Amino acid sequence: MKRLWLPGGFVAAILLIALLAPLLDLPNPIRQDIARRLSGPIPGSPLGRDEFGRDVLSRLIWGARTSLGVAFASALIAGAIGTMIGLVGGWFRGIGELLTVRLVDVILCFPPILLALLVVTLLGPGAATLILVLSVLYVPGFARVAYAEVLSARSNDYVEAVRALGAPTGRILLRTVLPNIAGPVLVQFSLAVAAAVVVESGLSFLGLGVVPPAPSWGLMIRGARATMEQAPLMLLWPCAALTLTILAMNLLCDALRDWVDPRTPARRPRLRLVDRLLPGLLPPAEPKPETVLDVSGLTVEIETPLGAIKPVEDVSLSVRAGETVALVGESGSGKSLTATAVMGLLPPAARPAAGAAWFGDRDLLRLSEPELRRLRGGAVAMVFQDPMSSLNPVHRAGDQVAEAIRAHQEVSVADAKARALDLFRRVGIADPERRLNAYPHELSGGMRQRVMIAMALANRPRLLIADEPTTALDVTVQAQILDLLAELKRETGTALIFITHSLAVVAEIADRVTVMYAGQVVEQGPVAQVFGTPLHPYTRALLGAVHESDAAPVGIPGVVPQPHAFPTGCRFAPRCAHAIAACSAAPPPLEEAAEGRLVRCIRWTDLAGAKAA
Amino acid sequence: MSAPLIEATGLSKTFTSRGVFKRGRAVQAVRQVDVALAGGEAVGVVGESGSGKSTLGRLMLGLLPATEGTVRFDGRTLDKIPRAEWRTLRRRMQIVFQDPYGSLDPRRRVGAQIADGLAIHGLVPAGEQGRRVGELLTMVGLDPLQAKRFPHEFSGGQRQRVGIARALATSPDFLVADEPVSSLDVSIQAQILQLLGELRRDLKLALLFISHDLPVVRHLCDRVVVMYLGRVMEEGPAERVFAEPAHPYTRALISATPRLDPGKRTKRILLPGDPPSPSDPPSGCVFRTRCAHAIEACAGAVPALRAFGEARRVACIRAEEIA
Ligand SMILES: Nc1ncnc2c1ncn2[C@@H]1O[C@H](COP(=O)(O)OP(=O)(O)OP(=O)(O)O)[C@@H](O)[C@H]1O
Ligand code: SF4
Ligand code: SF4
Ligand SMILES: [Mg+2]
Repeated sequence: MKRLWLPGGFVAAILLIALLAPLLDLPNPIRQDIARRLSGPIPGSPLGRDEFGRDVLSRLIWGARTSLGVAFASALIAGAIGTMIGLVGGWFRGIGELLTVRLVDVILCFPPILLALLVVTLLGPGAATLILVLSVLYVPGFARVAYAEVLSARSNDYVEAVRALGAPTGRILLRTVLPNIAGPVLVQFSLAVAAAVVVESGLSFLGLGVVPPAPSWGLMIRGARATMEQAPLMLLWPCAALTLTILAMNLLCDALRDWVDPRTPARRPRLRLVDRLLPGLLPPAEPKPETVLDVSGLTVEIETPLGAIKPVEDVSLSVRAGETVALVGESGSGKSLTATAVMGLLPPAARPAAGAAWFGDRDLLRLSEPELRRLRGGAVAMVFQDPMSSLNPVHRAGDQVAEAIRAHQEVSVADAKARALDLFRRVGIADPERRLNAYPHELSGGMRQRVMIAMALANRPRLLIADEPTTALDVTVQAQILDLLAELKRETGTALIFITHSLAVVAEIADRVTVMYAGQVVEQGPVAQVFGTPLHPYTRALLGAVHESDAAPVGIPGVVPQPHAFPTGCRFAPRCAHAIAACSAAPPPLEEAAEGRLVRCIRWTDLAGAKAA
Repeated sequence: MSAPLIEATGLSKTFTSRGVFKRGRAVQAVRQVDVALAGGEAVGVVGESGSGKSTLGRLMLGLLPATEGTVRFDGRTLDKIPRAEWRTLRRRMQIVFQDPYGSLDPRRRVGAQIADGLAIHGLVPAGEQGRRVGELLTMVGLDPLQAKRFPHEFSGGQRQRVGIARALATSPDFLVADEPVSSLDVSIQAQILQLLGELRRDLKLALLFISHDLPVVRHLCDRVVVMYLGRVMEEGPAERVFAEPAHPYTRALISATPRLDPGKRTKRILLPGDPPSPSDPPSGCVFRTRCAHAIEACAGAVPALRAFGEARRVACIRAEEIA
């Protein structure tokens, strides 16, 4: 919104001055006064007089009327016609597309100057001719932009939804499609106006546009050029007017486009150096030797326009060799941020504010980027939910795996390829020789995920973090991948952290589980115990929402709170069926309920007792 | 069973990719499917991605023209209905989409989007629209005051509720829900399913519920249709199909579904390889390339969808032997 004021005000001022020119007390812009030819600033003429002794300021303002009038009129006409053509072509496709978008493309084959010359010869020069020429010139641009945008907008479900409502085509195009393509069309408009101002000047300069003595910026530049040596300032004024107008137009349309889109995100704050250094200054906890990864008290802080938030707070978990620990919770509970913090892959605005992540004798949170890079893909590997976005689309699958091996080990290309083939076989890719040479888009979702796993395993990691690796897959493929992971873990003794929101998947593959809610660990323990006798009301509610038993599943009312609005006491209190006043008074501590079992609820003993009774 | 409200017979859809220079390969998204729904009945359609579930839903709504076969709605054949009458029919059939982010127009307030159906069909006078939108929002468990908000101000589950409110605005008789809970958390899924169940009961909606999540279908639907590569593999009462699946594919699907309770876990039937491409399906039984029970005869003719026990049908020549 703020970004709209400056360019908006400037453009409005220019337009207003141009519009009000007849009301301003200006000297006649075409009255000549040869005696004062090329004079500098004099009373009544603050910018001086031109080569015929005409007042420059007056000509500049009256010229703006012509120049901007021509530019806006032609951009508006071209915009209206072009957008309509694009809409029709993009919506109806087929014949409609051929008759509209393809047809106007023909215009693009003409060099603009040639077209202008042709039309001017036929119709004679003048502002009206200019508008006609420029409109014709800019129609294809609008048509193409609108066409491309309609094609992408029409595949959206919300367009299908209004179709399903039985809306007539006109209504769909005007009410639903048009607003959604307005952004790019507006940008095109700003470009067209800017270009039209320039072309108008150019054509007038060549004597093909506005007819002298009528003022226009192009004619002024033309006139000033001849007398450049005697009065260089004459050239400056129209050029400055031209540049500033174009600049303001571009800024305005940029700001307009953002403003039209209600989703424009707030800008990301910059990270201060001290924030990056601060965690390193805190005294680290002692590493525990028996575990592969030991995360303790991890807090992630993100600077946002609403202030600093802590989407992950005081999270502790550990995983031993050959063990699978699941991290489970609703979306927005901080699972992925916990994993990316450990991998050193946090988004730019986020930083680990406290805690430690011991991997052997090294704290992953305090390693430098080069050190991390040596670990990542080597001793510590990660598999993501969407294999398509994590594989490079322009390289063959086998080459990417071989490259991953060579990044961490000194082996020849041929050896790396042979190892990749071996890995492909291990992860159960059928016909591995052929698949090595396939591009990612030629593989199915399940196969891509296998390639990702092969890549993650390439350097025999001691720790593998898998973030929702099966969520995008069908159940039959998911079953294949879960089996594969379990088998690999047995064979290699890799410690596995498995992130998922599916409790059933946790039950299938994990040894221990950490339940997260609103950035905190709320319950932790061996899977059989936690699912058999859940202690935290949230765990119990989550289990009750699963479609498993014959009882109808029960939803949990409300949603996970946003990090900037976490409740002060127990974060689950607003949705908890057992909440009492004391729950909201202070944050409940994470208590050890039994050997290896943690729970964050002040009432867990009452509730466990009530259930037993 | 009473006469069906909507009935698809021999429905097929082939997509041919358009190209000026190269002839695209035809994708047989839906092959010879028969489905019928009575008023107030819920039918689940399950299958893996690419099995043609969504295409079937769109065909039954008349949003896509069928390549073969017919859809009859309330006794009338869809492709014979004159354009003018389509408008009134549209009011009676609606759809809820999978993606609660993509299915709402990001630039318009949700109230205006819910009111679209009312305005298009002139169901309530302009002055009354606000009140009706408020009622619809209340019906799906939202605050009427939220009508003034934009879609990005809602959570996924809330957006899905808005999508449902928009579909219900025209008081439809037939609702297609295309994976309406797949992108939601379990806690929210249960809320939305509860809502759909109630609405179906209270409004006597015929519901075609598309999903890849079998346990969800079992809870919500009376009958289930299992699809693979565009064809129906098995069909019958939801409870029975899940308790004793007859088709090898249904068995594999059920055994692959992860279970919370280790006691309920059955031995997993792992399907080898990947599903074949729908542009080049196997001859005979489309499932035979991954079926553990396949014999030579399976490659011959396409197995007919034949009666199997009471109110059930299955497309497998060995169903009795395997059972
Ligand atoms: N417009 C289209 N053009 C070409 N092919 C299509 C089109 N729409 C669907 N298909 C193809 O038809 C087949 C069935 O698609 P459909 O979307 O109906 O499957 P689905 O079971 O709903 O899958 P998902 O669970 O992924 O949504 C797929 O192979 C798909 O690629
Ligand atoms: S502390 Fe209170 S509100 Fe929080 S989970 Fe326990 S009972 Fe519920
Ligand atoms: S017809 Fe043959 S291949 Fe097809 S499901 Fe039955 S046994 Fe398997
Ligand atoms: Mg689908």
